[in-house]
Amino acid sequence: MADNSPSYVLLYRAAFALLCILILFAHLLPLDTLPRSWGSPDLMMAMCFAWAVRRPDFVPVVLVAAVFLLADVLLLRGPGFWAALVVIASEYLRAHAVSLRDVPFPFEFATVAGAMAICFVVYRIGLSILFVEQAQLSIFLTQALSTILIYPIVVAVSHFVLGVRKTSASDVNTLTGRT
Amino acid sequence: MAQDKTNSEDYLRPIRRLLTGLVVFFLLGIFLIWRIDSPRVERFRADLVDRFVPSFSWAMAPVTTVANVIDDFQSYGRIYEQNQELRRELQQMKAWKEAALQLEQENAKLLDLNKVRLDPALTYVTGVVLADSGSPFRQSVLLNVGARDGIQDGWATMDGIGLVGRVSGVGQNTARVILLTDTNSRIPVTIEPSGQRAILSGDNTANPPIELLESPELIRPGDRVISSGDGGVFPADLLIGRVSLGSDKRLRVRLSADYERLKFLRVLRSQASTPITDPGSLLAPANGELAQTETETGDDG
Repeated sequence: MADNSPSYVLLYRAAFALLCILILFAHLLPLDTLPRSWGSPDLMMAMCFAWAVRRPDFVPVVLVAAVFLLADVLLLRGPGFWAALVVIASEYLRAHAVSLRDVPFPFEFATVAGAMAICFVVYRIGLSILFVEQAQLSIFLTQALSTILIYPIVVAVSHFVLGVRKTSASDVNTLTGRT
Repeated sequence: MAQDKTNSEDYLRPIRRLLTGLVVFFLLGIFLIWRIDSPRVERFRADLVDRFVPSFSWAMAPVTTVANVIDDFQSYGRIYEQNQELRRELQQMKAWKEAALQLEQENAKLLDLNKVRLDPALTYVTGVVLADSGSPFRQSVLLNVGARDGIQDGWATMDGIGLVGRVSGVGQNTARVILLTDTNSRIPVTIEPSGQRAILSGDNTANPPIELLESPELIRPGDRVISSGDGGVFPADLLIGRVSLGSDKRLRVRLSADYERLKFLRVLRSQASTPITDPGSLLAPANGELAQTETETGDDG
């Protein structure tokens, strides 16, 4: 049971934080100062959800909240809203990690895609209720769609390269209980 | 053992729920505070960016350079045509240079005749672009100059040629520049030669539209757009770009600044204009006697 030792879990938590900071870093590179008409996928969200379904103990609530709050601040979003949505959605996926463990990938994909879509729609509606200035709908839609479409790739990379895999049935019960 | 596990789980579940609830409550609270008291939170954001981004600059510069080299590498494919093109352009530029030199001499003579002196307060600080906004929804760049260098909110920034944006958010070592293309950017402009005033409002596209224009029929594509200095924030007569007719039949501005490669930006020092604190005493008599007598005579008549 080497893959449940605290140091192993801690290592993956650190890896999650590091990968998120790398993604932020790539976003902030001043390569593209012309306005674009399409949005790039939210890789952090896809990764967070993929890990929450596979190994909920790798992405504790507080870590997710901290990382996404940092992203909100650095990427000039209204701080907190997007982070709150991601926390709620990842909690939902975490609660269903046990039932999602045995289903084939398309079902998992559908569940996660639904969670993502709800996040994006609620975000857009929430911002318009509060009269926050927003960019074109096309950027928003392409971002939502590309985030959903990139999810299988993120899952594949997490599974084969990073080794974030679903655990056996007996472990999941104990893992979801951990904070 | 199994018994213990289920027990601890029963324990933990409500605690987890509570923790999640608290975290979500906290995050939404921050968001609402941002919506209500945005300047304070934006100052906090500027401070955090100030702490976080410069610590990456050692890595950012080489990565950006490599990416740009790869970008440039694609243009090596047609190096011969490019060379020819540059030679042709150089020829034209020589003619322009001659004209410019003559004009400069003439201008110097005229200035001397009129005893005009340019305002020495109009100087600039040059900054290097550290980072962009990082999201397709916002258009801004982060400069490596900040409060330490005397930068203040609201100052204009230019590249070599045209206006690029406005400083909004100053940290100790960094300053954020909201580009003219951002959805939050509104700049008062004058359109030459008709001299009409309008507002240039960014809409997250490369060519921002002109709004609040009184008589659009006087405007022709190709007219120069310069800053008007209305509102007292920006210096007047900074070149912004030229008018063009967008595909949606709206008048838009083709910006003069090279937005494709923003690398070094000049932040113009603007002097604060004298604040007018009590407009009433400037326009009307201090006591309302005069007005009163006027109304009385009006009644009599």
